Amino acid sequence: MSLAWRRQRERGSRAGVRAMTWTALTLGRPVARALLYPICAYFLMSSPESRRAVARFRAVVFGRPARWGELFRHYYTFAATVLDRVYLLRAQFDLFDLRFHGVEVLDRELAKGRGCILVGAHVGSFEVIRAVGVLGRRLDVTVVMDEHNAPLMRRLTEMLNPAVAATVIQAGGVEAMLHVRERLGRGGIVGMMGDRAVGREQTVECLFFGRPARFPTGALRLASLLGVPVVLCFGLYRGGNRYDIHFESFLNDGDEPGDQQQPFLQHAMQRYVARLEAMCRLAPDNWFNFYEFWDGAEQ
Amino acid sequence: MEHSGSSTIEGDLAELIVRTLKLKIDPTSIRPEAPLFGEGLGLDSIDALELSLAISQRYGYQLKSSDPEIKVIFSSLRALAKAIEKNRTK
Repeated sequence: MSLAWRRQRERGSRAGVRAMTWTALTLGRPVARALLYPICAYFLMSSPESRRAVARFRAVVFGRPARWGELFRHYYTFAATVLDRVYLLRAQFDLFDLRFHGVEVLDRELAKGRGCILVGAHVGSFEVIRAVGVLGRRLDVTVVMDEHNAPLMRRLTEMLNPAVAATVIQAGGVEAMLHVRERLGRGGIVGMMGDRAVGREQTVECLFFGRPARFPTGALRLASLLGVPVVLCFGLYRGGNRYDIHFESFLNDGDEPGDQQQPFLQHAMQRYVARLEAMCRLAPDNWFNFYEFWDGAEQ
Repeated sequence: MEHSGSSTIEGDLAELIVRTLKLKIDPTSIRPEAPLFGEGLGLDSIDALELSLAISQRYGYQLKSSDPEIKVIFSSLRALAKAIEKNRTK
């Protein structure tokens, strides 16, 4: 992709982000959601590669070819969660029907005072997790993100909530994990994604819906290195204004790997992938990796 | 322990790196000026953290993400050895 073209596209999308934010905050969620229909139709038609990847994902999950209407709904679900990020960043939590599952798992780990690693995925909305604040908890959440891949999300966050933007750690940098350790040391929560490797991050091969795919081991290596508990977290969008936020206990201090580092990582990641799969079965439209995910498929 | 010159620290540090990260290479094969992370030895950000914990234990030098020089410090064996020489407390 030529630099000039990329710049132009970036400029175009910057205007798009501004327009979306203005629409969302001025005209309100129902109007903004209505506008998502033509926008999604446009993206569905103009992104054949992503569309094929989504179709393939759905075909694997459902065991039959995806229909056009389903592909549209998949795109719409993604667009709806991006839109909702505007409201979530503005802390307008009362717009939503937020259902929390297993928050006590998080409480239990945080009570130990050693911080906690939350591992999520590009499934549904990770942003909605900050809404745990509405339950009266004061949470110090830092998220490790590959912002080079999502400059628009960065801009959106900076525009709407600079305080939240300041808590994002850029993944991949040599000092990123020093930063993470400092946050955990203060008893904070660090959110990481378990489904996409950044740069040269180490990965292991796991079976996802019965097919091999590579998953990054970063979060688990970090947890075992620092002796910090891991909690899984998925913010599934269930249509309308409803989000189901699931917390699940995953690794405690009793699960130290010792010298069995490689088998431990392999085994634990496969366990994570099984939970990821379960979440995808609950809400297949929430799968937001719009590229060929499995090994052997073209990138 | 006496505080010797940075070339001795380089050798010592190379051994520490290989031992800590369980690399299957000879410590003397690490070129002092070559990048440690990314394309060099192929180490990642979690290796950097693991190494920084070992450095703090061995030399009493706490590497911090807020250090404006942090990327330079981690850029090569030589740069890291220099930083340790300057900041070590044991």
